[in-house]
Amino acid sequence: MNVPIGAYLALSLALLVLGLIGVMRRRNPLMLLLSVELMLNAGNVALIGFSREWNDPSGQVFALVVMVVAAAEVVIGLGLVVAIFRNRSNLDVDELSSMRG
Amino acid sequence: MGEQVLFAVAAIGTLGFGVGVVFFKDAFRAAVSLIGTLLSVALLFIALLAPFAAAIQVIVYAGAIVVMFLFVIAYLGDRGVLPGPDRLDRWQVIGWLGLIGLGFFGAVAILDSTAGPARPAPSTTDVGSPASLGDAFLSSHLLAFEATSLVLLVAAVGAVILAKGAVQGEGGR
Repeated sequence: MNVPIGAYLALSLALLVLGLIGVMRRRNPLMLLLSVELMLNAGNVALIGFSREWNDPSGQVFALVVMVVAAAEVVIGLGLVVAIFRNRSNLDVDELSSMRG
Repeated sequence: MGEQVLFAVAAIGTLGFGVGVVFFKDAFRAAVSLIGTLLSVALLFIALLAPFAAAIQVIVYAGAIVVMFLFVIAYLGDRGVLPGPDRLDRWQVIGWLGLIGLGFFGAVAILDSTAGPARPAPSTTDVGSPASLGDAFLSSHLLAFEATSLVLLVAAVGAVILAKGAVQGEGGR
């Protein structure tokens, strides 16, 4: 008796919703990036679940590409956070209003 | 039976550590909690017969990405948020609407996946083996493979340029 694909999808949905709640209630940019990582992992769980369900390696290829994009996103995101907040006393995305039109 | 036990352990670990990531006040604890989530997700990949993806998950995510987070948290130190209410509060309602919509459509998709005629359980194959993945990457997904190298190059160059600006800001070259 295998675990049905629905169980993996439910876990993926729960993880995605958890990450979305984190993005909504956090104001620290580092915490926002951590929550985004949760959401990306939720996507990967669903992709690899589909790969197993259909016996097709494409899902795992997509998941590996998502991991690469996540690594690139973290590099650029953390670089921006360090460059912007190095000289500020607070770590808060609300502070970034200098580009307000 | 084995897959069910593994799934249960990994699901509890994923959600438990995930709640820690979202609700810990301390950034360092949240980042360490993220390691737990990522390792639990790697267990899920093993339950799904994707050992290569599980290995990459541990090496790249839990190894490289979280260490980078920890470096930046240690560099920036413990700084508070601005006093006063959240200035983006008025957008919260849109976020909650998105959350409700996501939950609703997700539940519909999950119920839809369990409805319908029961298909035979997928057989044990080597879809997740490195040979099979390499074959898929270099034949039908060659464009994604090449785009990946470009994405990594752009990220590396961007990180160097951002760091150069920061070093110059502190008086160095």
